[in-house]
Amino acid sequence: MTAKTILVADDESHILSVVSLKLRNAGFRVLTAADGQEALDLARQERPDLLITDYHMPLLSGIELCRRLRQECAFIPTIMLTARGYNLDPTDTAESGILLMISKPFSPRHLLATVQEILARQVAAA
Amino acid sequence: MTLQVENILAELSDRPAALPAAVLEALAARFRPAGLFLLALFPDGKLAWHDRAAGAFFLRYVFPLVQNSELSNRAGDGAQPPRPSAGIAIDRSIPGVLLAVLPHVEKRQNLGFLVVAAREEAFALSEDALRFAGRLGLDGAWLDHQAGDVPGFIETALQTQARLVSGCLKDQLRLAGLEHELDSVSEQLASTYEELSLIYQVSGGMKVNRSSEDFFKQTCLDVLPVMGVRAVGVALGPEAHSPGAVLFGQMELPAGIIARLGGQLLSMLSVRKSALLINDLAANPQFKWLGEHARHLLAVPLQRYDKTLGCLFALDKEIGDFDSADAKLLNSIANESAIYLENAKLFEDAHGLMMGLLHSLTSAVDAKDAYTCGHSERVALLSRHLSQAAGLGDYEVEQVYMAGLLHDVGKIGVPESVLQKTGKLTPEEFELMKKHPRIGARILQDVRQVKHLIPGVLHHHERFDGAGYPDGLAGAAIPLMGRIICLADSFDAMTSNRTYRKALPLEVALTEIRRCAGTHFDPELAEAFLGTNADRYRELLLDHQQKSRKLLDFPEPLREHAPLSNR
Repeated sequence: MTAKTILVADDESHILSVVSLKLRNAGFRVLTAADGQEALDLARQERPDLLITDYHMPLLSGIELCRRLRQECAFIPTIMLTARGYNLDPTDTAESGILLMISKPFSPRHLLATVQEILARQVAAA
Repeated sequence: MTLQVENILAELSDRPAALPAAVLEALAARFRPAGLFLLALFPDGKLAWHDRAAGAFFLRYVFPLVQNSELSNRAGDGAQPPRPSAGIAIDRSIPGVLLAVLPHVEKRQNLGFLVVAAREEAFALSEDALRFAGRLGLDGAWLDHQAGDVPGFIETALQTQARLVSGCLKDQLRLAGLEHELDSVSEQLASTYEELSLIYQVSGGMKVNRSSEDFFKQTCLDVLPVMGVRAVGVALGPEAHSPGAVLFGQMELPAGIIARLGGQLLSMLSVRKSALLINDLAANPQFKWLGEHARHLLAVPLQRYDKTLGCLFALDKEIGDFDSADAKLLNSIANESAIYLENAKLFEDAHGLMMGLLHSLTSAVDAKDAYTCGHSERVALLSRHLSQAAGLGDYEVEQVYMAGLLHDVGKIGVPESVLQKTGKLTPEEFELMKKHPRIGARILQDVRQVKHLIPGVLHHHERFDGAGYPDGLAGAAIPLMGRIICLADSFDAMTSNRTYRKALPLEVALTEIRRCAGTHFDPELAEAFLGTNADRYRELLLDHQQKSRKLLDFPEPLREHAPLSNR
């Protein structure tokens, strides 16, 4: 089976490094984007199996990115990273295909476990 | 497994240092289109790597010849770093081919040689070339044809290219080094994230009304995967709510061992007051006895204001040994936990004091009237039960319980002659009696911690149809607390002996509640009350009876009758 592709979008490079290292070591193919627009372009081209995105990003916010992807592409399961204590409107997130919100600082171990679980569910459903 | 790793390591250390293949591949891909063929040699001159994607001219003619040539020997001689200004040596030992040999030196260590090979501009099928080709079993015409497909270089051009390759190699190596560094920094950062999120999680769980057993269990379970240890435990000193030691994780130790370890750690840590880190228990005189169960131990004190309340400890790191980073992490968790312990103790003290005072106050009220002895406690219990049946949350249920305890506190202000009168009250006496909810509310209004219970106290004599007192509120206008206590109060009054009548049997009381649903009582609450199983009351009240002698005179009917029928 080919490696699943995960797109990680965050304007903080240290988050990108930590998340992508963790995922790469677990055998995933990882694409990174430093802003929402770059993430949108990459997602259009590469059709990742899963998206992990920050909420606050330059050019295109995480939620706007999800909304656009939802309109254009088939469903891409999404995990959104937000600042702790920052709550989004649940209807907003549900409409945009966001499965889960994880607040920063997060546990990379937990994030990886969540990704594996979502993808396993995806496979089981297919 | 270990053996395998050791073998690989031994093999690696036997092999001479070499340029990383990934870097060479990237380099070759870049220079291949220009007609250059790259090879790498170990410092001893043996072939380490070559570009396997090169064309046939290089792979079938140049490569075997390099392998067999004396180039290796010559390269071996030149192991010392070249002077930067020196020109790049060009080897012409293969006919029609130019080889630039570049030693690669890093941190004064020779990592080997990079060889850049190219077809000589003036390539011709000389006698030499034909002889070499013949030895390799190559056809001369074929070789000539292959050579024609490859760009030719003159010596100075190859030197220029070789310098470029060399510079590019340095950049690539630097980049690879940086990437490696980035990975290791990210690795460290990831573990910092783990720790930070663990600390958030632990402090998020620090709710004072949570039991300390529960808190420490969760904390230990949270620490286990982050530290990567086989067991995490906590030992609490004698002053704690639940003293003793517990252990969580995969390691199963006999209770006696856990208790002994907890005791020893407590006494050691209350003296040293800082982390204890032992990576070879069997070799440690004080912990030799634990050596057969575990190898590593890390323990940190739970300290508040120089006082050791207990300790957290971890056993057996899964990978490697405990180090100062582990000690720092466990210390942070211990600091958080100690704050929790202290707060939980303060909360317990304050809460206990308040509940104690509430109970004394209600006992004082009940003492004024021997017949209503225990009434406040029973009403409180029934109100709690009723609010649970009505689906209130834990916090609200406890508030209703407290309001139930206090509902008759205003009777302190009603003359005993009225309270204890055996006959029917005169209208004047009844007016005095009717004042008790307001008096109660006034007693409570200046105490911040119980002020919010006033609606229950003030309105527990309102009737659902509006015919009650003191405000004649009706329906939903009566605060829920008041409606609940009203029902509990009436039920207890009916099932108790009173100065003016004997206790009613349970069935009669229940029928009365059913009859008065919607007039006297909130119909929904009445339904909830009648819908509950009387066994639960019985358990509730018998349980309470054991704790409180006041309930000994709880009305017989409720104890002896069959369960309330479910409507």
